[in-house]
Amino acid sequence: MGPISFIKEHWRLLLLVAFVTGAMVALFVPGGIMADDSYVESQDDNPTNLEYGLGLDGGTRISAPVVGMTAENIDAGAVNEEDGSVDRQRLTEIEQTLYDNDEFDLETGNARVSVDDDGNVHAEIFTDEVTRAQFAAALAEAGVEVDPEEDIRDGVTAQTRAQIVETITSKINAAGLSGGTAYESARFGGEYYIVTEVPDMDPDELRALLSERGIVEVVAYYPGENGTQTNETVLTGADIATVDPPRPSERGSGYEVPVQVDSNAAADYQDRMNDIGFTGEGVGQCSLRGDGETISFDHADEQYCLLTVVDGEVVDAHSMGPTLASSMADGTWANDPSFFMGAQTQQQGAALSVNLQAGALPAPLDLEQEQTLSLSPALADQFKLYSLLIGALSVVTVSGVVFLRYSDVRVATPMIVTAMAEVVILLGFAALIRMPLDLSHVAGFIAVVGTGVDDLIIIADEVMDDGDVSSQRVFESRFRKAFWVIGAAAATTIIAMSPLAVLSLGDLRGFAIITILGVLVGVLITRPAYGDILQRLLTDK
Amino acid sequence: MGYFDVPEINYTRYSNRQLAAVPLAVLAVALLVLTGSFLVTGTPVQLGMDFAGGSELTVQTTSSEAEIANAFDEEPESIQAVAAPDTQNQYVIQFTSTDSSALREQAEQNLAQDGDADIVQLESTVSESFGSETQQTALLGIAAAFLGMSVLAFLFFRTFVPSIAIVISAFSDLVIPLAFMAIAGISLSLGTVAALLMLIGYSVDSDILLNNHILRRSGDFYESTNRAMETGVTMTVTSMSAMLVMGVTAWLFGVELLASIGIILFVGLAADLMNTYMLNLSLLRWYKFHGVRS
Repeated sequence: MGPISFIKEHWRLLLLVAFVTGAMVALFVPGGIMADDSYVESQDDNPTNLEYGLGLDGGTRISAPVVGMTAENIDAGAVNEEDGSVDRQRLTEIEQTLYDNDEFDLETGNARVSVDDDGNVHAEIFTDEVTRAQFAAALAEAGVEVDPEEDIRDGVTAQTRAQIVETITSKINAAGLSGGTAYESARFGGEYYIVTEVPDMDPDELRALLSERGIVEVVAYYPGENGTQTNETVLTGADIATVDPPRPSERGSGYEVPVQVDSNAAADYQDRMNDIGFTGEGVGQCSLRGDGETISFDHADEQYCLLTVVDGEVVDAHSMGPTLASSMADGTWANDPSFFMGAQTQQQGAALSVNLQAGALPAPLDLEQEQTLSLSPALADQFKLYSLLIGALSVVTVSGVVFLRYSDVRVATPMIVTAMAEVVILLGFAALIRMPLDLSHVAGFIAVVGTGVDDLIIIADEVMDDGDVSSQRVFESRFRKAFWVIGAAAATTIIAMSPLAVLSLGDLRGFAIITILGVLVGVLITRPAYGDILQRLLTDK
Repeated sequence: MGYFDVPEINYTRYSNRQLAAVPLAVLAVALLVLTGSFLVTGTPVQLGMDFAGGSELTVQTTSSEAEIANAFDEEPESIQAVAAPDTQNQYVIQFTSTDSSALREQAEQNLAQDGDADIVQLESTVSESFGSETQQTALLGIAAAFLGMSVLAFLFFRTFVPSIAIVISAFSDLVIPLAFMAIAGISLSLGTVAALLMLIGYSVDSDILLNNHILRRSGDFYESTNRAMETGVTMTVTSMSAMLVMGVTAWLFGVELLASIGIILFVGLAADLMNTYMLNLSLLRWYKFHGVRS
C-alpha cells in the first residue's frame, strides 16, 4: 500500500493521532507549542502547562459596579463640527458648573466632562446622592439641555471604565504583588462590573485598596489677606510626572516620597509659591504636627504649610525648606522640578507612592453591590485533587457501564480510549490558549466524557446492527446513518449551551465553552476516528 | 450480549393513553409542587446564594458544629461538614447576610484554629442586587436555550407531532428536576442552572434517536422502537451513572458546583427515560398509526 492510499484510508485515525500528539506537546513540553518558557519558570511545581483560575489556585476576586451616572452625547457646543477641534475651555467650564452646584456638593474628582474618539461629549458624575433631575438641572445651568429620563443613564462611559481597569491593574501590581488582573465584565441589562483578581490578598485588604480613590493633592495652607488661614490646591496627582519609592526623611521625622513635577505644571507651581509667600516669609514656618494618621490644626502663629492630601484627608504637613525656597525664588527650580512629598509613616508613604504612580481611580466602585470570592491556596489545592478524583471516578464508572453492556473488549476499549482522547485534546487546547481552568471547566470535562461516550454508543450500536459488518460499503452506510443522529444531538447541545457561553453568568462560562468545544472536537475528530477503529476491528481487514 | 441488556418492553399491551398517562401525571404533580412552592414562598424553587445574595465561608477549625453555629451573630443558614480523604475539621457554612468581613472576623475570633491552617479557607459573597440580576440572566439563558432547541427539533423532523413530542418531553425533563429540587430542598444555584441547560441538550439526544429510528428507517414500528431503546437506554444509563458518581463524590467533598450539576442531571436523565419511552413513544405511535400525514 502506497503512502497516499494509506493516508486516504486512515485519515480519520491519523487526524486523531495528530491532534492527541499536538495536545500532549502543548500539555507537557515545557513552554508548550509556543516555546515561550517565560511563564513556565514561574510555576515549576506544576508538571503540566495548564493554567489554573482562582477556583483552583487560590486568591481573591471582587466584582463591583462603578458608582455614577452619565449624560451621553450632550450638545455642549464644544466640538467644532467642521474640523473636529475641541474647545477644552468649554468642557472645563461645564465641569466647574457641576462642582459649583449648590444642590449637591461634589468632591474633587467626582465630575467629568470628556470627549470620546468620535467627537461626542459626555458628562459624568460619580456619586449616588444626586438624582437624574438634579443632574439635568445642573447641566442646564451650564447651558446644556438634557432630558433626565432619556439622556441620562446609570453607569459611566467606556473611557472611564477602561481607565479604572488600568488604574486598578497598576495599583495591585504596584503594591508589590504580581499576577493581579482587572477587567470589565458586561452584565445582562447593560451594566458593567469591574472585576479584580489578586492571587495573594485577603478580601479585606483588596476591598480597602479598591475603596480608596487615591486622589492626591498638594494643598498650600497659608495666611490669607484678612489674617485667617487659607487652603489652596497647588498641585494635583496628574501634575506629578515621576515618583520614587518612599524613604525615611533626611530632615527630622517621617518619610518622604521623591517626585518630579510635570514640566508644564512646574512653572505655574513655582510662580504661585513665590506669589503667596512660601519662598519668602513662609520658609520653615510650619509647626503643624500629626499623630501618625491625621494632622492637628491647633496653632496660634501664622502657618505656611504644604499639606499632602489623599482623598480629602490631610496625611502630612511640611514647611518649605530653605534650599528649595531659594531655587524657586530665583526661578531655577522649574528647570529641574523635583521635590519631596511628606508622609508620616512608611505605610502612608508607600500608599502615597502607589497612588501617585497608578493615578487616581476616576470613579469609585460601589462595593455595596459587590460579589466576592476568596479562596486559600490550601483549599484550592484540595479542589485540584478532588477534581482529579471526581473526574477519574466518573471515567471509571462510564467504563464499567460500557464494559458491562458490550462485554466485547474490541468495542468497549476503543470507546473509552477515544473518549479520553477527547479530554486530552481539550486539555491541550486549554494549555495552548492558556485558558485558566476552574471548577466549572472540570464539570465541562466530565460532561464531555458523558456526551462523548453517548455518541460512541450510537455509532457502535448502529454499525453492529444486524450481525457482522461484511463489507466496507455496508459499514460506510451505517456509519453515515449514525452520524446524522450524532450531528443532530451535537447541534442541540451546542444551541443549549451557547446562551451560557455568551451571557456573563459568572463561573458558568467555562463550563459552556468546554462543553461546546468538546462537542465540536468529538463530532469533527474523535468520533469519525472511532468509526475507523471499529471498522478495522470488525471487518477483519 | 453484555452483562446487562436493555429489556424489551411489549408495548402492544398498553394503549397510547395508558402510556402517556404516567408521565403526564408526574408532570402534573411536578407543576403542582412548583405552583404550591410559588404560592407559599414566592418562588417556585428556593433561590440559592448566587441568586438571592448571601455569603458562604469554608472554615478549617477544631470547633464542633454546635460551636460553629454559635460563633456568629447571625444564625447560619446551613453548616455542612466536608467529608473528603485527607480532610478533617472542614465545614462549609452559608449565611443570608452579605457582610462578609464581619463574618470573617467573627469566624477568626470565635473558632479554634486547626494547626497552622487559616481558619477561613474560602469566603464568597453575592450582594442581593447582583443576585437578582444573575437571576434574570439565568432565566433568559434557559428560555433562549429551550427556544433554540425547539426550533432545531422542528427543523430536523419538519412534521408537527414528532417535533412537538420532543419539545414536550424536554419541557417535562426540566420541570421534574425543578420539582425534585423544591421537595428535596436543593436551592437554585449557578450549578443547577448549568445542569438544567445541559439537560436541554442531553435529554433531547434520546428523543432524536427514537424519532429517527421510527420515522426515517424502514421496518416494523416495534422493531425500530426496540432498537432505538437498546441504544438510547444504554446512553442514558451511562450518563446517569457518571453523573451520580460525580454528584455524590462532589457532595461529600464539599465541591458544590459539581455536586449540584451531577445530582440534577441524574434526576433529569431519569425523568428523560420515562418521558422518552412513554410520552414521546405514545405520541409517535399515535402519529404513525392514526395521525394525519401531510
